[in-house]
Order: sequence, then structure tokens, then C-alpha cells
Amino acid sequence: MNKIMFFAHLRDHVGEESVTKDASGKTIAELKQLLSEEYGLKLDTVMAAVNEEFASDDEVIQDGDTVAFIPPVSGG
Amino acid sequence: MSERYSRQTLFPPIGNEGQERIRSKHVLIVGAGALGSGNAETMTRAGIGTLTIIDRDYVEASNLQRQQLYTESDVAEKLPKAAAAEKRLKRINSDVEIHSVIGDATPEKLEELVEGVDLILDSTDNFETRMAINDISQKYEIPWIYGACVGSFGMSLTIIPGRTPCLNCLLKKIPIQGMTCDTGGIIAPAVQMVIAHQAAETLKILAEDWDAVRTEMVSFDLWRNQYTSMKVSKAKDEGCLSCGKERTYPYLQTENMMKSTVLCGRDTVQIRPPKELEIQLSELVKQLKSLGYQVKGNPYLLSVDMEEQRLVIFKDGRALIHGTKNLTQAKSIYQRLMG
Repeated sequence: MNKIMFFAHLRDHVGEESVTKDASGKTIAELKQLLSEEYGLKLDTVMAAVNEEFASDDEVIQDGDTVAFIPPVSGG
Repeated sequence: MSERYSRQTLFPPIGNEGQERIRSKHVLIVGAGALGSGNAETMTRAGIGTLTIIDRDYVEASNLQRQQLYTESDVAEKLPKAAAAEKRLKRINSDVEIHSVIGDATPEKLEELVEGVDLILDSTDNFETRMAINDISQKYEIPWIYGACVGSFGMSLTIIPGRTPCLNCLLKKIPIQGMTCDTGGIIAPAVQMVIAHQAAETLKILAEDWDAVRTEMVSFDLWRNQYTSMKVSKAKDEGCLSCGKERTYPYLQTENMMKSTVLCGRDTVQIRPPKELEIQLSELVKQLKSLGYQVKGNPYLLSVDMEEQRLVIFKDGRALIHGTKNLTQAKSIYQRLMG
């Protein structure tokens, strides 16, 4: 299983800081697609981290990995 | 070294030597809003050599909740933020040479300002400008520090050419503006937390304590009590057009630059003429008054109150049209008044 974490407005949108899902074997891009269908999230410009390390769209998620979605924000 | 900086020189990683280095450095701050005013104050108090700060906006009442350099009298005078910031910073520390620039941080303008600069502190509110800063940082090998916040959330990343990935490696394309900025508002502690991260990184780099520089992207949510660091070294992309082997600096190519922009989180459109103008503001005030418009002016700008919108024109021909997000409508108002 995998812990999927959401930051900033993504967290508000999902309503929880994290959800548990089996995403092992999926790429980040596939997980983004899945989450956008399930929660209506727009994730194409959101950064992903696997175990607190930057992950590109083609990185494959392993069982037990923690995945975080961090939207780059622009306010200043 | 003067008594003034004793608490900073007593801090072992800085010391007298670090302070002398800090004193010899020139920092460019892009933006004089919430992050810009806090970063500018911190760097001015820390005793850097030269500070250049550029901003296109003027002070409004809704800024005062978090933009720490400004006062009610700046609002009443509608002072440009860069001018109000310079006035305040000079009173805080007369040792520091302060240059303020009222204008848009276009790629051309940034290339002009970056000469002799040791570090760029991002304090803007949009990714168009950040991507231009990112390209300039790579082109001239100047470190820059990304910082941004919305609501109670904020983030920062230190980008050092040749050592770290750049913002274009991480983002690949410009994120959609409206994604966060219109909705969340902002609380001052989130601003201050981003400033704390950016300013600490700046001091490390100015003091040349390179080993101390943070290599992760930090992000936090002060209200939801989340805090995370993300290692980014893997993001370095050799094919990146900003920092890779065959770089083109795509965000410095200005032919595609927008001439009108909806400003982040505000019911405002900015119009920028293709070429900078030199407007005689006092003449324009007279002209518009004779046409029956409600006009107020100061040496930097004039503002015209209309029924639904308010138009503010700067000397260089740039205008902010408040009360609309419609680019076409904004352009037509601009053209109606400016010909």
C-alpha cells in the first residue's frame, strides 16, 4: 500500500491530508490520471515526491512508497 | 566591524569575515510586495552593500496586513511600492546603497539590472517573471532563491547554477496562474516563514558558507501543521532548455511577451505598451480633467476613477485597470484614455 499526501489547495480539495491506496507498479503519471478522475484534481503542473525525493512523471511507484503532491504556488 | 552588526558577527558561521563578505555584496529583489518588503528589510538590516528592488505596483490599503515596509500614509499618497520601500529602507540603514526601480520586471529590464549582482531574491507573484529570473540566473551564473506563498502555505528553493537543478528542470512548463492565487487569501505568518527561509539562504550564500546551503525544496502549511522537504538533485535535466547542454533560455525570448496580463489574485489587468513611453503626467491630468474624468496624480502616476473601474497610469505608459479581469475591456479602457 501507499500513502498519498496532498499539500496546499490539493489538500482542501481532497478534504484530507493523505489517503491510502495501492499504487505500486504505477507511474507517477498514471497515479495523477487516477487521482484526477477520482477527485477532479488538476495535477499536470503539480510536483510529485516519492519518499521526499523529486519524482518525474515516468517514475514507477514501489509498494510502501510515500507519494506527495506539492503544487508550485505563485503568490508573493 | 561596527557595533551595529555585533549580534550577527557573534554568530560563529558568519563572524567578522562573513560580515565583510555580506557587506561587499549586491542583492537584486524582484518584487516589493509581501515577500519583497520583508526580504528587503532583512537584507538592509543585515548590512549588505547594495540592494536593488524593482516593483510595478503602488501601495494599497489591502497590502498593509502583511507588507511590512508600508504605512497608511503611503496608501494615502498612492506611492509606488519601490519608492515607498526605498524611503523606508534608507531610514532603517543608511550604510546600504538602495536603488529602487518603478517598473515591470521584463526580461530586458532584468538583464539590465543584473549587472554586478551577486544574488537574486524572488519576491514576485507570477511564474512568467520567475521563469525569466531562472533563465537570467543560468545565463549570468547568479544564484537565485524561489519563494512563494498562498493561504497558510509557502515554499522555497535555492537555485545555484552549475550545482543544483533549475526551476525549469522541476516544472517543465509554467504552472497555471489561477490554480492557487485567486482562492486562498494569505496570512502574514506564511509570508514571514517564506522570508525566513529565503533570507537565511541569502545570508549563507553572501557569507559564502556554501556547505550550509539547503539543497531541498522546503514547503509548509502553518495552519494545517504540515512541513516537508523534497530532495531535488534527481530533477537535474541535461536536456533542460534553461540549464542543460543545449540551452536557449526560452523565457528571455521576448517576442511572445504578453502586453496585457491579469494580475494574480486581483480584479486587475495590467496593460504594457510595446515600447516604454515618457508621459508628461501633469499634462495628461489636465487633459483628462477637461474631458470630465475624476483624476488624481502624484509625480509617479495618475489615477482615474470611473464608474466600475479605476485606471492607474505610470510615467512609462504602463497602466493598471482595477475592477476587471477582462483583457479586451481593459485594453479598450486604456485606449479610450490614452489614444
